[in-house]
Amino acid sequence: MILEFMRDDHRACDALYTDAENALANKNIDEAKRLYNEFYRATNHHFNMEERALFTTFEKRTGMMGGPTQMMRYEHQQLRAQLESMLKALETDQYDDFFGIGESFMIMLQQHNMKEEQMLYPMIDQTLGTDGELMVQTLKEMAQ
Amino acid sequence: MFRRGLSLEQAPPIKAVLRFFITLPVFGLILSCLMIFFPAEILTPSHPFSLSAIHLLFLGMVSMGMIGALFQMQSVLGGAPIPQPLGNSLIIHTLFTLGTLALVSAFMFGIRELFVVTSVFLGSAIVYFAQILLPLLFGKITHDTLKGMRVAIFSLFITAILGIIMASSYASQSFSDHHAMIRTSHYSMALIGWISMLIMYVAFQVVEMFYVTIPYSDWCKHNIKKILVIALSLKIIWLFTALPFEWFFDMIIVSLLVGFMVTTTKRLYTRKRRVSDASVWFWFAGMGLLGISLGTYCGSLIFGYAPLESMSLMTFGLFALSVILGMMGKIIPFLVWFHLNASGFMETPVMSNIIPQKRLKITFWLFVSTAFFTLISPLYPTLLSLAGASGMVTFGILFFNILTAFKLYYHISKNGTKFRFNG
Repeated sequence: MILEFMRDDHRACDALYTDAENALANKNIDEAKRLYNEFYRATNHHFNMEERALFTTFEKRTGMMGGPTQMMRYEHQQLRAQLESMLKALETDQYDDFFGIGESFMIMLQQHNMKEEQMLYPMIDQTLGTDGELMVQTLKEMAQ
Repeated sequence: MFRRGLSLEQAPPIKAVLRFFITLPVFGLILSCLMIFFPAEILTPSHPFSLSAIHLLFLGMVSMGMIGALFQMQSVLGGAPIPQPLGNSLIIHTLFTLGTLALVSAFMFGIRELFVVTSVFLGSAIVYFAQILLPLLFGKITHDTLKGMRVAIFSLFITAILGIIMASSYASQSFSDHHAMIRTSHYSMALIGWISMLIMYVAFQVVEMFYVTIPYSDWCKHNIKKILVIALSLKIIWLFTALPFEWFFDMIIVSLLVGFMVTTTKRLYTRKRRVSDASVWFWFAGMGLLGISLGTYCGSLIFGYAPLESMSLMTFGLFALSVILGMMGKIIPFLVWFHLNASGFMETPVMSNIIPQKRLKITFWLFVSTAFFTLISPLYPTLLSLAGASGMVTFGILFFNILTAFKLYYHISKNGTKFRFNG
């Protein structure tokens, strides 16, 4: 349940990034900036959902404080730094820099997503059991 | 296990991976030399030089690249990193390289004792690799990619066992009645169980996520490995019991691979991420080569024409190589960037400045010309020399690409300036 919900959110973020990248490649600068800002907001929101609700609940249930969730938080920090660098590159019209940073960002993001989708979310699903539905509801409400 | 999988070791030390990748073009250069100077011998099925060439391609290049990539991807796809990556990669790489060189020399120079050396080195490398990797793939959480990887590693292990049996026959020059069956089982396990299985299950993850495509169906991910294992096992049983209609299992395997080729091509063609990228070109070329390999294999079954089977084998190797080169073009710059960035160096270059896309695209076109001349060489054997010359340039540039990336990493990690945080 958590896996499906969070995986769909990963894909929605990927689609926004791709649209921004494609717009910039087509020299549609304003559209690229608008789409990137949407992606920036959506990705930060995704990280916040995990850090403020999903991971904390998992940690309370399992008592696993310094384990996988801590590692994911550390990766979020690295990814947030990349998101900021790309935003800066776009705002200062350094488009080559945007593509350059974007290439490594995308690999890092996808590796991060794979770890979550293949290991962490299934573990959270196992831990939460039927409470998974409530958690999805909570996550949905965080978007409003 | 899970805790280890998401530890701070997100990526293994750069040396653990790059030692495999940098050896790949070296074997490519040796193979290219053979193609230049001995085209007729290489095109003669079962000629010792032909067997040398095949093993240079499948062991020295394809398997070398795949093992290197597994060192990088294990923590991401497999759930837990390979322990003591530097030491273990050194042991596996050394044994694997020496074993491959011994095997190639044994065939080329007819030194029988070298087959024993090959068995010891290659057998040890593969058994050691399998005993490290397999336990990491059996954790509490499991998924289709993990299961596919298990089958691939187990198939590599069986391939090695069958290879050792054959090497002992070559060493003693006594070939049992089952030699031809063991040989067919050996290369079937290698091509289908090891190479195809790993490429497919990595593709199921990588293609969708890196190129932003529609996902492969759950049915595919869930069932392909099962059908392949059953078809491959039954094919081998049929071979050893001399039952009729063995080709039926070949057709099942061919159908699945055609399905994979069509599906992957379609997904890449309709991918959302349209930014020009040489790795996508390598994937497309790989799928085209897979199609040619399957077509020529079917032709060899229908017409019983041996050169078509050899051509199918070479093309299959080129398919795998194309996919591996495409992935290396992403993994190498990423690793350099990742390690420098994670260490906080201000001079960390962006990926496109580590190996420029332009150079990757030149490598791609040279690879295509090498593959093209190789493919038409059964009709005009002298063209294999031309393919060899093109291969020399391709693998020379590839070697240069990896070496400059490696040198850049060392230069910055020795002389670079780190960010200082106050407070």
